[in-house]
Amino acid sequence: MTFLGKESLSAMPITQEAVKTLSAQLYDWSLRRVPDDTKDALRRARATETHEGAQRVLEIMLGSAMRAEQTDRFVCSDAGVPVFRVTLGANARWEGDLKAAIVEGFDELVGRIQPPLLKHVTNPLTNERGYKGKDMPLVTWEMESGVDWIEIACQPKALGSGRWAQAETFSFPSLADIEAYVMRAVMTAGSQHCPPVIIGVGIGGSFDVAAKIASKATYRPIGSVNPEPVLAAMEERLLRAVNATGFGPMGTGGDTTALAVHVDYSAGHGYTPVAVCFNCWINRRTRARIHADGSVERME
Amino acid sequence: MNLLDYRRVTMPLSREDARSLRAGDMVLLDGEITITAGLPTHHRILKCMEDGVDPPIPLQGQSLLHLGSYSQDTADGGLEVLYMNPTTSTRFNPLMPRLIRHFGLTAVGGKGGLDAACREAMAEVGCVYFSFLGGGAPLHSSAITAVKAVAWNDLVAHYRLVRLAVSGLGPVTVGIDAHGNSLFETLSQQATDRMPEILAQLDRDRAG
Repeated sequence: MTFLGKESLSAMPITQEAVKTLSAQLYDWSLRRVPDDTKDALRRARATETHEGAQRVLEIMLGSAMRAEQTDRFVCSDAGVPVFRVTLGANARWEGDLKAAIVEGFDELVGRIQPPLLKHVTNPLTNERGYKGKDMPLVTWEMESGVDWIEIACQPKALGSGRWAQAETFSFPSLADIEAYVMRAVMTAGSQHCPPVIIGVGIGGSFDVAAKIASKATYRPIGSVNPEPVLAAMEERLLRAVNATGFGPMGTGGDTTALAVHVDYSAGHGYTPVAVCFNCWINRRTRARIHADGSVERME
Repeated sequence: MNLLDYRRVTMPLSREDARSLRAGDMVLLDGEITITAGLPTHHRILKCMEDGVDPPIPLQGQSLLHLGSYSQDTADGGLEVLYMNPTTSTRFNPLMPRLIRHFGLTAVGGKGGLDAACREAMAEVGCVYFSFLGGGAPLHSSAITAVKAVAWNDLVAHYRLVRLAVSGLGPVTVGIDAHGNSLFETLSQQATDRMPEILAQLDRDRAG
Protein backbone atom coordinates (compact mmCIF):
# COMPACT_ATOMS: atom_id res chain seq x y z
CA MET A 1 0.00 0.00 0.00
CA THR A 2 1.41 3.40 -0.91
CA PHE A 3 0.58 6.85 0.35
CA LEU A 4 1.60 9.44 -2.14
CA GLY A 5 0.62 13.04 -2.72
CA LYS A 6 0.09 16.03 -0.47
CA GLU A 7 -1.33 14.12 2.51
CA SER A 8 1.81 12.11 3.03
CA LEU A 9 4.08 15.14 2.70
CA SER A 10 2.17 17.22 5.27
CA ALA A 11 1.81 14.51 7.84
CA MET A 12 2.91 16.67 10.79
CA PRO A 13 0.01 18.07 12.78
CA ILE A 14 0.01 21.74 13.83
CA THR A 15 1.28 21.84 17.39
CA GLN A 16 0.00 23.39 20.61
CA GLU A 17 3.41 25.04 20.95
CA ALA A 18 3.09 26.73 17.53
CA VAL A 19 -0.33 28.17 18.43
CA LYS A 20 0.97 29.33 21.82
CA THR A 21 3.97 31.10 20.32
CA LEU A 22 2.08 32.71 17.46
CA SER A 23 -0.89 33.96 19.49
CA ALA A 24 1.48 35.68 21.95
CA GLN A 25 3.47 37.24 19.09
CA LEU A 26 0.31 38.52 17.37
CA TYR A 27 -0.77 40.31 20.55
CA ASP A 28 2.70 41.80 21.07
CA TRP A 29 2.96 42.96 17.43
CA SER A 30 -0.50 44.52 17.47
CA LEU A 31 0.51 46.93 20.25
CA ARG A 32 3.48 48.44 18.40
CA ARG A 33 2.29 49.09 14.88
CA VAL A 34 -0.66 50.76 13.19
CA PRO A 35 -1.66 48.58 10.20
CA ASP A 36 -0.51 49.85 6.77
CA ASP A 37 -4.06 50.18 5.37
CA THR A 38 -4.94 52.35 8.37
CA LYS A 39 -1.91 54.62 8.00
CA ASP A 40 -2.76 54.97 4.28
CA ALA A 41 -6.34 55.90 5.16
CA LEU A 42 -5.09 58.49 7.66
CA ARG A 43 -2.81 59.99 4.98
CA ARG A 44 -5.73 60.18 2.54
CA ALA A 45 -7.85 61.83 5.23
CA ARG A 46 -5.04 64.29 5.92
CA ALA A 47 -5.06 65.23 2.23
CA THR A 48 -8.82 65.78 2.02
CA GLU A 49 -9.56 67.33 5.45
CA THR A 50 -10.82 70.90 5.19
CA HIS A 51 -10.65 71.62 8.94
CA GLU A 52 -7.26 73.03 9.94
CA GLY A 53 -7.21 71.65 13.47
CA ALA A 54 -8.19 68.22 12.15
CA GLN A 55 -5.34 68.31 9.62
CA ARG A 56 -2.94 68.89 12.49
CA VAL A 57 -4.44 66.15 14.66
CA LEU A 58 -4.15 63.68 11.73
CA GLU A 59 -0.52 64.72 11.29
CA ILE A 60 0.19 64.11 14.97
CA MET A 61 -1.52 60.69 14.71
CA LEU A 62 0.74 59.69 11.81
CA GLY A 63 3.72 61.00 13.79
CA SER A 64 2.77 58.84 16.77
CA ALA A 65 2.35 55.76 14.53
CA MET A 66 5.79 56.32 12.98
CA ARG A 67 7.46 56.94 16.35
CA ALA A 68 5.98 53.69 17.74
CA GLU A 69 7.51 51.75 14.84
CA GLN A 70 10.88 53.48 15.02
CA THR A 71 11.23 53.00 18.79
CA ASP A 72 9.36 49.67 19.08
CA ARG A 73 7.02 51.12 21.72
CA PHE A 74 3.30 50.75 22.36
CA VAL A 75 1.10 53.14 20.36
CA CYS A 76 -1.37 53.28 23.26
CA SER A 77 -0.68 52.75 26.95
CA ASP A 78 -3.91 50.81 27.18
CA ALA A 79 -2.96 47.42 25.75
CA GLY A 80 -6.59 46.40 26.16
CA VAL A 81 -7.50 42.81 26.81
CA PRO A 82 -6.29 40.07 24.45
CA VAL A 83 -9.02 39.26 21.92
CA PHE A 84 -8.45 36.53 19.33
CA ARG A 85 -10.39 35.05 16.44
CA VAL A 86 -9.15 31.59 15.50
CA THR A 87 -10.25 29.99 12.24
CA LEU A 88 -9.67 26.26 12.09
CA GLY A 89 -9.42 24.82 8.60
CA ALA A 90 -11.86 21.93 8.30
CA ASN A 91 -8.98 19.85 6.91
CA ALA A 92 -6.38 21.06 9.40
CA ARG A 93 -4.76 18.54 11.71
CA TRP A 94 -3.47 19.53 15.08
CA GLU A 95 -2.29 18.00 18.31
CA GLY A 96 -2.65 19.19 21.88
CA ASP A 97 -4.95 21.67 23.57
CA LEU A 98 -5.23 24.78 21.41
CA LYS A 99 -7.47 26.54 23.95
CA ALA A 100 -4.83 26.12 26.64
CA ALA A 101 -2.16 27.21 24.15
CA ILE A 102 -3.63 30.70 23.90
CA VAL A 103 -3.97 31.07 27.69
CA GLU A 104 -0.36 29.92 28.20
CA GLY A 105 0.91 32.17 25.42
CA PHE A 106 -0.63 35.24 27.05
CA ASP A 107 0.61 34.26 30.54
CA GLU A 108 4.17 33.90 29.27
CA LEU A 109 4.00 37.15 27.33
CA VAL A 110 2.87 39.04 30.45
CA GLY A 111 6.00 37.78 32.18
CA ARG A 112 8.48 38.90 29.55
CA ILE A 113 7.06 41.76 27.44
CA GLN A 114 8.97 45.07 27.47
CA PRO A 115 7.78 47.58 28.35
CA PRO A 116 5.50 45.70 30.79
CA LEU A 117 1.72 45.75 30.33
CA LEU A 118 -0.58 47.64 32.66
CA LYS A 119 -3.20 45.51 34.43
CA HIS A 120 -6.34 45.73 32.34
CA VAL A 121 -8.05 42.36 32.79
CA THR A 122 -11.01 43.33 34.95
CA ASN A 123 -13.34 41.24 37.08
CA PRO A 124 -16.68 42.89 36.20
CA LEU A 125 -18.20 41.90 39.55
CA THR A 126 -15.56 43.67 41.66
CA ASN A 127 -13.74 45.92 39.15
CA GLU A 128 -10.43 44.47 40.40
CA ARG A 129 -7.77 44.47 37.71
CA GLY A 130 -4.92 42.09 36.97
CA TYR A 131 -3.47 39.98 34.18
CA LYS A 132 -5.77 36.97 34.55
CA GLY A 133 -9.50 36.42 34.57
CA LYS A 134 -12.35 34.12 33.71
CA ASP A 135 -12.46 33.26 29.97
CA MET A 136 -9.37 35.39 29.30
CA PRO A 137 -8.03 35.71 26.61
CA LEU A 138 -11.35 36.19 24.82
CA VAL A 139 -11.35 33.81 21.86
CA THR A 140 -13.88 33.29 19.07
CA TRP A 141 -13.46 29.90 17.37
CA GLU A 142 -14.58 29.50 13.77
CA MET A 143 -14.21 26.88 11.06
CA GLU A 144 -13.59 27.24 7.37
CA SER A 145 -14.28 24.51 4.82
CA GLY A 146 -11.80 23.31 2.25
CA VAL A 147 -8.55 24.52 3.87
CA ASP A 148 -5.91 22.90 6.06
CA TRP A 149 -4.42 25.91 7.88
CA ILE A 150 -5.19 27.52 11.22
CA GLU A 151 -5.54 31.30 11.14
CA ILE A 152 -5.17 33.43 14.25
CA ALA A 153 -6.21 37.08 14.28
CA CYS A 154 -5.67 39.39 17.25
CA GLN A 155 -7.49 42.60 18.04
CA PRO A 156 -6.90 43.86 21.59
CA LYS A 157 -9.90 45.83 22.84
CA ALA A 158 -9.88 48.59 25.42
CA LEU A 159 -12.46 50.86 27.01
CA GLY A 160 -11.66 53.82 24.74
CA SER A 161 -13.52 52.35 21.77
CA GLY A 162 -14.94 49.13 23.25
CA ARG A 163 -17.18 51.12 25.60
CA TRP A 164 -19.37 52.42 22.76
CA ALA A 165 -20.44 49.17 21.09
CA GLN A 166 -24.17 48.55 21.24
CA ALA A 167 -26.88 46.25 19.92
CA GLU A 168 -30.64 46.48 19.58
CA THR A 169 -33.17 43.97 18.35
CA PHE A 170 -35.81 45.00 15.80
CA SER A 171 -38.67 43.17 14.09
CA PHE A 172 -38.63 43.25 10.28
CA PRO A 173 -36.62 46.50 10.12
CA SER A 174 -36.17 48.39 6.86
CA LEU A 175 -32.68 49.37 5.72
CA ALA A 176 -33.62 52.93 6.76
CA ASP A 177 -34.38 51.68 10.30
CA ILE A 178 -31.04 49.89 10.46
CA GLU A 179 -29.06 52.87 9.19
CA ALA A 180 -30.82 55.26 11.57
CA TYR A 181 -29.81 52.96 14.43
CA VAL A 182 -26.18 52.98 13.30
CA MET A 183 -26.32 56.78 13.34
CA ARG A 184 -27.74 56.75 16.89
CA ALA A 185 -24.76 54.63 17.98
CA VAL A 186 -22.43 57.13 16.27
CA MET A 187 -24.12 60.00 18.13
CA THR A 188 -23.81 58.20 21.48
CA ALA A 189 -20.09 57.67 20.96
CA GLY A 190 -19.71 61.28 19.79
CA SER A 191 -16.18 62.53 20.48
CA GLN A 192 -15.25 59.79 22.90
CA HIS A 193 -13.94 56.74 20.96
CA CYS A 194 -10.66 58.12 19.58
CA PRO A 195 -11.94 58.86 16.07
CA PRO A 196 -11.43 58.44 13.15
CA VAL A 197 -12.82 54.97 13.80
CA ILE A 198 -13.50 51.80 11.87
CA ILE A 199 -17.16 50.89 12.35
CA GLY A 200 -18.41 47.30 12.25
CA VAL A 201 -22.11 46.60 11.75
CA GLY A 202 -23.70 43.15 12.10
CA ILE A 203 -27.28 42.59 10.94
CA GLY A 204 -29.44 39.56 11.70
CA GLY A 205 -28.65 36.05 12.87
CA SER A 206 -29.27 35.76 16.60
CA PHE A 207 -28.21 38.21 19.31
CA ASP A 208 -24.73 36.70 19.69
CA VAL A 209 -24.21 36.21 15.94
CA ALA A 210 -24.98 39.86 15.16
CA ALA A 211 -22.31 40.99 17.63
CA LYS A 212 -19.84 38.44 16.30
CA ILE A 213 -20.19 39.44 12.65
CA ALA A 214 -20.06 43.15 13.55
CA SER A 215 -16.75 42.56 15.31
CA LYS A 216 -15.47 40.37 12.47
CA ALA A 217 -16.35 43.10 9.95
CA THR A 218 -13.87 45.46 11.63
CA TYR A 219 -11.03 43.05 10.71
CA ARG A 220 -11.66 43.64 7.00
CA PRO A 221 -8.95 45.77 5.36
CA ILE A 222 -9.89 49.41 4.76
CA GLY A 223 -10.67 49.92 1.08
CA SER A 224 -11.80 46.33 0.49
CA VAL A 225 -15.13 46.18 -1.34
CA ASN A 226 -18.01 44.27 0.24
CA PRO A 227 -18.93 41.37 -2.10
CA GLU A 228 -22.66 41.97 -1.41
CA PRO A 229 -23.68 44.91 -3.64
CA VAL A 230 -26.47 45.95 -1.24
CA LEU A 231 -23.98 46.14 1.63
CA ALA A 232 -21.27 47.81 -0.47
CA ALA A 233 -23.72 50.63 -1.23
CA MET A 234 -24.79 50.81 2.43
CA GLU A 235 -21.17 51.07 3.57
CA GLU A 236 -20.51 53.96 1.18
CA ARG A 237 -23.53 56.01 2.18
CA LEU A 238 -23.07 55.33 5.91
CA LEU A 239 -19.43 56.45 5.74
CA ARG A 240 -20.53 59.74 4.13
CA ALA A 241 -23.26 60.11 6.77
CA VAL A 242 -20.90 59.48 9.70
CA ASN A 243 -18.39 61.97 8.34
CA ALA A 244 -21.12 64.57 7.87
CA THR A 245 -21.57 64.68 11.68
CA GLY A 246 -18.39 66.75 12.06
CA PHE A 247 -16.95 65.18 15.25
CA GLY A 248 -13.60 64.77 13.49
CA PRO A 249 -10.23 63.36 14.62
CA MET A 250 -10.12 62.95 18.44
CA GLY A 251 -13.62 64.46 18.46
CA THR A 252 -12.40 68.05 18.33
CA GLY A 253 -13.96 68.81 14.93
CA GLY A 254 -13.36 67.87 11.31
CA ASP A 255 -14.54 65.91 8.28
CA THR A 256 -12.99 62.60 9.33
CA THR A 257 -14.95 60.79 12.04
CA ALA A 258 -14.68 57.33 10.44
CA LEU A 259 -12.14 55.75 8.09
CA ALA A 260 -14.48 52.93 7.09
CA VAL A 261 -17.88 51.36 7.77
CA HIS A 262 -17.96 47.58 7.29
CA VAL A 263 -21.29 45.73 7.30
CA ASP A 264 -22.06 42.02 7.32
CA TYR A 265 -25.26 40.04 7.79
CA SER A 266 -26.60 36.60 8.60
CA ALA A 267 -30.03 35.23 7.82
CA GLY A 268 -32.23 35.13 10.89
CA HIS A 269 -35.87 35.14 11.88
CA GLY A 270 -38.01 38.27 11.59
CA TYR A 271 -36.48 39.53 14.80
CA THR A 272 -33.31 41.24 13.63
CA PRO A 273 -30.54 42.18 16.02
CA VAL A 274 -28.31 44.98 14.80
CA ALA A 275 -24.89 45.34 16.44
CA VAL A 276 -22.53 48.29 16.03
CA CYS A 277 -18.93 48.36 17.24
CA PHE A 278 -15.93 50.65 16.86
CA ASN A 279 -12.17 50.39 16.52
CA CYS A 280 -10.23 53.50 17.46
CA TRP A 281 -7.88 55.12 14.92
CA ILE A 282 -4.87 52.93 15.77
CA ASN A 283 -7.00 49.96 14.63
CA ARG A 284 -4.90 47.30 16.36
CA ARG A 285 -5.12 44.18 14.25
CA THR A 286 -2.73 41.36 13.37
CA ARG A 287 -3.28 38.05 11.58
CA ALA A 288 -1.23 35.00 10.60
CA ARG A 289 -1.72 31.44 9.39
CA ILE A 290 0.00 28.23 10.40
CA HIS A 291 0.08 26.00 7.35
CA ALA A 292 -0.05 22.22 7.31
CA ASP A 293 3.72 22.05 6.74
CA GLY A 294 4.26 24.08 9.93
CA SER A 295 5.26 27.28 8.16
CA VAL A 296 3.87 30.55 9.52
CA GLU A 297 2.55 33.16 7.10
CA ARG A 298 2.05 36.62 8.61
CA MET A 299 -0.79 38.36 6.77
CA GLU A 300 -0.70 41.64 8.71
CA MET B 1 2.59 72.67 11.16
CA ASN B 2 6.08 72.68 12.64
CA LEU B 3 6.27 72.07 16.38
CA LEU B 4 8.23 75.33 16.73
CA ASP B 5 5.13 77.21 15.62
CA TYR B 6 2.96 76.07 18.52
CA ARG B 7 2.51 78.33 21.54
CA ARG B 8 4.05 76.90 24.69
CA VAL B 9 2.45 77.31 28.11
CA THR B 10 3.90 76.59 31.53
CA MET B 11 2.19 74.13 33.88
CA PRO B 12 0.68 74.52 36.35
CA LEU B 13 -1.05 77.22 34.32
CA SER B 14 -1.40 80.62 35.89
CA ARG B 15 -5.01 81.78 36.10
CA GLU B 16 -4.10 84.43 33.54
CA ASP B 17 -2.67 81.91 31.05
CA ALA B 18 -5.72 79.68 31.52
CA ARG B 19 -8.03 82.57 30.65
CA SER B 20 -5.89 83.54 27.65
CA LEU B 21 -6.60 80.23 25.88
CA ARG B 22 -9.56 79.73 23.56
CA ALA B 23 -11.35 76.52 22.54
CA GLY B 24 -9.65 75.16 19.42
CA ASP B 25 -6.18 76.53 20.27
CA MET B 26 -3.36 74.01 20.10
CA VAL B 27 -0.43 74.34 22.49
CA LEU B 28 2.60 72.52 23.89
CA LEU B 29 2.95 72.05 27.65
CA ASP B 30 6.08 72.63 29.76
CA GLY B 31 6.47 72.42 33.53
CA GLU B 32 4.73 70.13 36.01
CA ILE B 33 1.52 68.16 35.56
CA THR B 34 -0.47 65.88 37.86
CA ILE B 35 -2.08 62.81 36.34
CA THR B 36 -4.21 59.75 37.10
CA ALA B 37 -6.50 57.44 35.11
CA GLY B 38 -8.26 55.96 38.11
CA LEU B 39 -11.82 56.32 39.37
CA PRO B 40 -10.75 55.00 42.82
CA THR B 41 -8.11 57.75 42.85
CA HIS B 42 -10.75 60.42 42.33
CA HIS B 43 -12.76 58.91 45.19
CA ARG B 44 -9.69 59.08 47.43
CA ILE B 45 -9.12 62.72 46.52
CA LEU B 46 -12.76 63.48 47.38
CA LYS B 47 -12.29 61.66 50.70
CA CYS B 48 -9.27 63.88 51.45
CA MET B 49 -11.48 66.92 50.75
CA GLU B 50 -14.18 65.64 53.07
CA ASP B 51 -11.63 64.91 55.79
CA GLY B 52 -10.05 68.33 55.38
CA VAL B 53 -6.59 66.99 54.56
CA ASP B 54 -4.37 67.55 51.54
CA PRO B 55 -4.02 64.68 49.07
CA PRO B 56 -0.48 63.19 49.12
CA ILE B 57 0.35 65.36 46.10
CA PRO B 58 -1.12 68.85 46.71
CA LEU B 59 -3.56 69.94 44.02
CA GLN B 60 -4.37 73.58 44.85
CA GLY B 61 -4.09 75.61 41.64
CA GLN B 62 -2.62 72.60 39.83
CA SER B 63 -3.69 70.49 36.88
CA LEU B 64 -5.41 67.12 37.17
CA LEU B 65 -5.17 65.29 33.86
CA HIS B 66 -6.76 61.97 32.92
CA LEU B 67 -3.55 60.32 31.76
CA GLY B 68 -2.55 56.78 32.67
CA SER B 69 1.08 55.86 33.12
CA TYR B 70 3.27 52.88 33.88
CA SER B 71 5.46 53.89 36.81
CA GLN B 72 8.05 51.75 38.57
CA ASP B 73 10.94 52.01 41.02
CA THR B 74 14.44 52.20 39.60
CA ALA B 75 17.50 50.36 40.87
CA ASP B 76 18.96 53.56 42.33
CA GLY B 77 15.88 54.23 44.47
CA GLY B 78 14.26 56.66 42.05
CA LEU B 79 11.12 56.44 39.98
CA GLU B 80 10.56 56.15 36.26
CA VAL B 81 7.55 56.31 33.98
CA LEU B 82 7.84 53.99 31.00
CA TYR B 83 4.85 55.29 29.07
CA MET B 84 1.84 57.57 29.34
CA ASN B 85 -1.39 58.17 27.41
CA PRO B 86 -4.83 59.76 27.96
CA THR B 87 -8.00 57.99 29.02
CA THR B 88 -11.65 58.93 28.42
CA SER B 89 -12.53 61.84 30.72
CA THR B 90 -16.31 61.61 30.48
CA ARG B 91 -16.54 58.80 33.01
CA PHE B 92 -15.29 61.25 35.66
CA ASN B 93 -18.02 63.80 34.83
CA PRO B 94 -19.96 63.40 38.10
CA LEU B 95 -16.83 63.98 40.22
CA MET B 96 -14.99 66.75 38.38
CA PRO B 97 -17.05 69.87 39.23
CA ARG B 98 -16.34 69.45 42.98
CA LEU B 99 -12.64 68.83 42.36
CA ILE B 100 -12.32 71.77 39.96
CA ARG B 101 -13.98 74.18 42.42
CA HIS B 102 -12.37 72.89 45.63
CA PHE B 103 -8.80 72.91 44.35
CA GLY B 104 -9.23 75.80 41.91
CA LEU B 105 -7.67 73.61 39.22
CA THR B 106 -6.34 75.60 36.26
CA ALA B 107 -6.23 72.68 33.83
CA VAL B 108 -7.96 69.34 33.43
CA GLY B 109 -7.70 67.06 30.41
CA GLY B 110 -7.57 63.65 28.83
CA LYS B 111 -9.61 62.74 25.79
CA GLY B 112 -13.28 62.85 24.84
CA GLY B 113 -14.13 65.95 26.87
CA LEU B 114 -16.22 66.73 29.95
CA ASP B 115 -19.88 67.73 30.31
CA ALA B 116 -21.74 71.03 30.79
CA ALA B 117 -21.59 70.90 34.62
CA CYS B 118 -17.80 70.63 34.42
CA ARG B 119 -17.64 73.41 31.83
CA GLU B 120 -19.57 75.70 34.22
CA ALA B 121 -17.22 74.91 37.12
CA MET B 122 -14.24 75.57 34.84
CA ALA B 123 -15.58 78.98 33.77
CA GLU B 124 -16.14 79.89 37.43
CA VAL B 125 -12.59 79.19 38.55
CA GLY B 126 -10.66 79.83 35.32
CA CYS B 127 -9.73 76.35 34.15
CA VAL B 128 -9.24 74.77 30.69
CA TYR B 129 -9.59 71.22 29.31
CA PHE B 130 -6.73 69.87 27.20
CA SER B 131 -7.57 67.14 24.66
CA PHE B 132 -4.58 64.79 24.26
CA LEU B 133 -4.03 62.46 21.34
CA GLY B 134 -5.31 58.96 22.18
CA GLY B 135 -2.82 56.46 20.80
CA GLY B 136 -0.14 59.06 21.44
CA ALA B 137 1.97 57.12 23.95
CA PRO B 138 5.24 57.35 21.96
CA LEU B 139 4.92 61.15 21.75
CA HIS B 140 3.57 61.84 25.23
CA SER B 141 6.08 59.55 26.94
CA SER B 142 9.07 61.20 25.28
CA ALA B 143 8.02 64.58 26.73
CA ILE B 144 8.56 63.38 30.32
CA THR B 145 11.76 64.82 31.78
CA ALA B 146 11.41 63.76 35.43
CA VAL B 147 9.12 61.91 37.81
CA LYS B 148 8.51 64.28 40.73
CA ALA B 149 6.21 62.14 42.90
CA VAL B 150 4.09 59.00 42.82
CA ALA B 151 1.39 58.47 45.45
CA TRP B 152 -1.00 55.67 46.37
CA ASN B 153 1.28 52.87 45.20
CA ASP B 154 -1.18 50.28 46.48
CA LEU B 155 -3.26 51.02 43.38
CA VAL B 156 -2.53 49.55 39.91
CA ALA B 157 0.06 51.71 38.14
CA HIS B 158 -2.30 53.73 35.92
CA TYR B 159 -4.51 54.64 38.90
CA ARG B 160 -1.69 56.18 40.96
CA LEU B 161 -1.51 59.92 41.45
CA VAL B 162 1.65 61.02 39.66
CA ARG B 163 3.40 64.37 39.30
CA LEU B 164 5.68 64.68 36.29
CA ALA B 165 7.94 67.31 34.80
CA VAL B 166 7.37 67.59 31.05
CA SER B 167 8.84 69.52 28.17
CA GLY B 168 6.91 70.08 24.95
CA LEU B 169 4.06 67.73 25.85
CA GLY B 170 1.53 67.73 23.00
CA PRO B 171 0.41 69.48 20.90
CA VAL B 172 -2.84 69.37 22.84
CA THR B 173 -6.12 70.97 21.77
CA VAL B 174 -8.00 73.30 24.11
CA GLY B 175 -11.29 71.37 24.09
CA ILE B 176 -13.02 73.54 26.71
CA ASP B 177 -11.87 77.05 27.57
CA ALA B 178 -12.36 79.13 30.72
CA HIS B 179 -14.99 81.28 29.02
CA GLY B 180 -17.73 78.66 28.71
CA ASN B 181 -16.85 77.38 25.23
CA SER B 182 -16.72 73.62 24.71
CA LEU B 183 -15.82 72.05 21.36
CA PHE B 184 -17.47 68.86 22.57
CA GLU B 185 -20.83 70.46 23.33
CA THR B 186 -20.72 72.59 20.17
CA LEU B 187 -19.92 69.60 17.95
CA SER B 188 -22.52 67.40 19.61
CA GLN B 189 -25.18 70.08 19.11
CA GLN B 190 -24.05 70.62 15.53
CA ALA B 191 -24.31 66.89 14.77
CA THR B 192 -27.79 66.78 16.37
CA ASP B 193 -28.87 69.74 14.24
CA ARG B 194 -27.48 68.10 11.10
CA MET B 195 -29.03 64.68 11.74
CA PRO B 196 -32.43 65.26 9.99
CA GLU B 197 -30.57 66.25 6.80
CA ILE B 198 -28.06 63.39 7.20
CA LEU B 199 -30.93 60.88 7.47
CA ALA B 200 -32.72 62.49 4.52
CA GLN B 201 -29.53 62.19 2.46
CA LEU B 202 -29.29 58.48 3.41
CA ASP B 203 -32.86 58.07 2.11
CA ARG B 204 -31.99 59.79 -1.16
CA ASP B 205 -28.82 57.72 -1.57
CA ARG B 206 -30.74 54.52 -0.89
CA ALA B 207 -33.37 55.44 -3.50
CA GLY B 208 -30.46 55.89 -5.92
